[in-house]
Amino acid sequence: MAIGRRRRLARNGLYVAGLSPAAFLLALFFVGPALWALASSFTNRALVGIDAANPRFVGLDNYARLFGDPDFGRVILNSVIFVIGSAIIGQFVLGLALALLLDHAQRRGFLATNLVYASVLLAWVNPTIIAGFLWVAMFDFYNGSLNTGLHQLGLGPVDWLGKGPMLAVIIANIWRGTAFTMLIFLGALRTIPSDIYEAARVDGANAFRRFWDHTLPILRPIAALTLLSVTMATFGTFILIQTLTNGGPAFQTEVIALYAFHEAFQAHAVGYGSTIAVVMLALNLSFAIVFLRWSRARA
Amino acid sequence: MDEIVRQLISRRRFLQVAVASGVVAACNPTSTGGGAPTQGASAPAGGTGGSAPASGGAVSGTITVSYPDEAGLKPKYVEQAAAAVKAQFSGADVKIDLQKIGDDDYYTKLLLALDSNDAPDVFHVGGSLIGELADASYIEPLDDYVSQWPDWSQYPDAVRSGVTYKDSVWAIPYGLDMRWLYYRKDDLQKAGLPADWQPANVQGILDAAAAVKAANEPNVLPYALYAGPAGSSGTADHAFVPLLWAYGGELQDKDGKWIGDSPATRKVMAYYQKAYDGLSPKEILTETKPWTAMREKLGNGQLALLFEGGWVYGGWASADKAATEKNVGYTLHPTESGGPSFTIGGPGTCWYISARSANKQGAWEFIKAFNTAEIVGKLNAEDPHPVARADAAKVPEFASSPYLVASTEALAKAKFTSPDPAYSKVIEAIQKATARVAAGELGPDDAAKRYTDDLTQALGADNVTSQ
Repeated sequence: MAIGRRRRLARNGLYVAGLSPAAFLLALFFVGPALWALASSFTNRALVGIDAANPRFVGLDNYARLFGDPDFGRVILNSVIFVIGSAIIGQFVLGLALALLLDHAQRRGFLATNLVYASVLLAWVNPTIIAGFLWVAMFDFYNGSLNTGLHQLGLGPVDWLGKGPMLAVIIANIWRGTAFTMLIFLGALRTIPSDIYEAARVDGANAFRRFWDHTLPILRPIAALTLLSVTMATFGTFILIQTLTNGGPAFQTEVIALYAFHEAFQAHAVGYGSTIAVVMLALNLSFAIVFLRWSRARA
Repeated sequence: MDEIVRQLISRRRFLQVAVASGVVAACNPTSTGGGAPTQGASAPAGGTGGSAPASGGAVSGTITVSYPDEAGLKPKYVEQAAAAVKAQFSGADVKIDLQKIGDDDYYTKLLLALDSNDAPDVFHVGGSLIGELADASYIEPLDDYVSQWPDWSQYPDAVRSGVTYKDSVWAIPYGLDMRWLYYRKDDLQKAGLPADWQPANVQGILDAAAAVKAANEPNVLPYALYAGPAGSSGTADHAFVPLLWAYGGELQDKDGKWIGDSPATRKVMAYYQKAYDGLSPKEILTETKPWTAMREKLGNGQLALLFEGGWVYGGWASADKAATEKNVGYTLHPTESGGPSFTIGGPGTCWYISARSANKQGAWEFIKAFNTAEIVGKLNAEDPHPVARADAAKVPEFASSPYLVASTEALAKAKFTSPDPAYSKVIEAIQKATARVAAGELGPDDAAKRYTDDLTQALGADNVTSQ
């Protein structure tokens, strides 16, 4: 037993050595803060007031407060709408569609392919805060491009962020994030040899059948991972929304990550903000388990 | 707890009375605010009596000074004060950290620095934060310093009590906050109202706004009433709180409990509903810093009515002094019944010393050098606030402005919010409540009930009451 273990260790030593820097960094920057947040969630730690000087252990008080918080249901619902709209329908489906079109265009050698590719990537290489301000410049009521354009046409200004705040932030996030899924799918599509499609074409399969019978099964494992990563990233995103609506009007775009930020850094209630973050982490973990099971079952 | 509450209440009442006698007297050239000899406008920085209460020795080492300024009015005075400290103490160096960001963002950054023991020696934030900063042990009490500072006698009792919490002085203000109901004379005249318009009561504001709307002037908004988190503290100080007082309500009861639902709260919510029914723009709820656009619009005539800080007048006047004096009118906030009008006051932005500063004496020398009568007078003339120290009102730049004299006199009619450490949380509940009505999610009565719930959530049931 001991010999077997030692031999296994010797065999895997190189892998362990190779992985340990990454494992150390992950532990330092992800596991550490997560554990810190978990510990904080059981305290009344604050950035101001007496609780800042003498934080106390409060047990499950923060969790009781959160689940009794009349706004929390609304926040969860907003998050679900935002994730489904911008991650699943928007980034995932649109990213896949763009990847298929670009792959097709590249295989055919269309000239404009690289231009389209670059323009999608441009949205992604911008820092989120810049992307946010670009959309503020678009949607802003008084000086935004959309209303300036409408004014040129003799039409009245529209309160884009007030009338359809969730749609506005979903559109902005789709624009920003689609490139990521597109890149992943494009990479996967490149691995599919052209002769598979040629053989299918010889067999008389139309475009839809070629996609359904050949492309989709090959993409499935990567699709599950992509879906997982965009869902989790979208669930945790808040900078774009903060820049555009800051959760408003009246909580209509307050998503869970933004709520955690507002409680921790605007209300200065770090303990309560950590509690929201811990619940967010638990929800993300459950997504991860579901997606990974799904991908393993189908792969 | 009861004792603290008693202190707060008596302190606030004291403040109101004292302001009437103290600061107004400051504007009267025949009267001085204090009995002690003044150091005069050109007193050297540091003074003679400002010896260190702790060390008593010369100041040396680096003093880190951090402050936010988006408007760009303060840097030259901060640098002047830093130069004065360096000239007086050859071993001292002053490192200035100017943050060109908004006050809210600066405060968050500062709190994180304070929390991680990485704070500057001196910093510059609102005086209303004294309670929550002192309770967190972030700031140094200044009693020993001011007791040896001759210039402290120039600070009227009202101003001193505005920066006093739990019997200690915690910060040094340079200019006080007060607010006006601003109106555009040109816009109101086009709507058939007189140029010297005065609202008969609170409803009078909405009536004037409705008249402006009916006049249908292109690109003129009738009224801006801050609401929601986007309005930041303006939602409380420039909208909800004065309205609550106008309707005879109070933020806290006699026992210091925060009042949620009450007849006055419901009236304020009903006022919000009427204002957001086509008079005040809904974009206030989603704009980033909506006050930027609203102040600009009032300044150029695209907004007719706005209750705002006295300091915003400076921006309009520096852009076009003649047009501002001709077109921008200002008046006190009316009450429901047309009773005595009032304004809302505050200690303004203050200098604090970090409790963990390694160079507290140096920090204090900087604060003294900044708060000379000369700098206080000149800065408040540019960034219009009533002066915190009485002798600064005699600085010619300040004394020659009718607007500043009127603002200083208005302080006699000012009510003050409490420096209670819970006030930030109350502001959050106010933001939620006003947003719900403004966005049309809840009616006035339901929003007032939810206000109680939100207060209870944030402060605990023991600290909240309904009437």
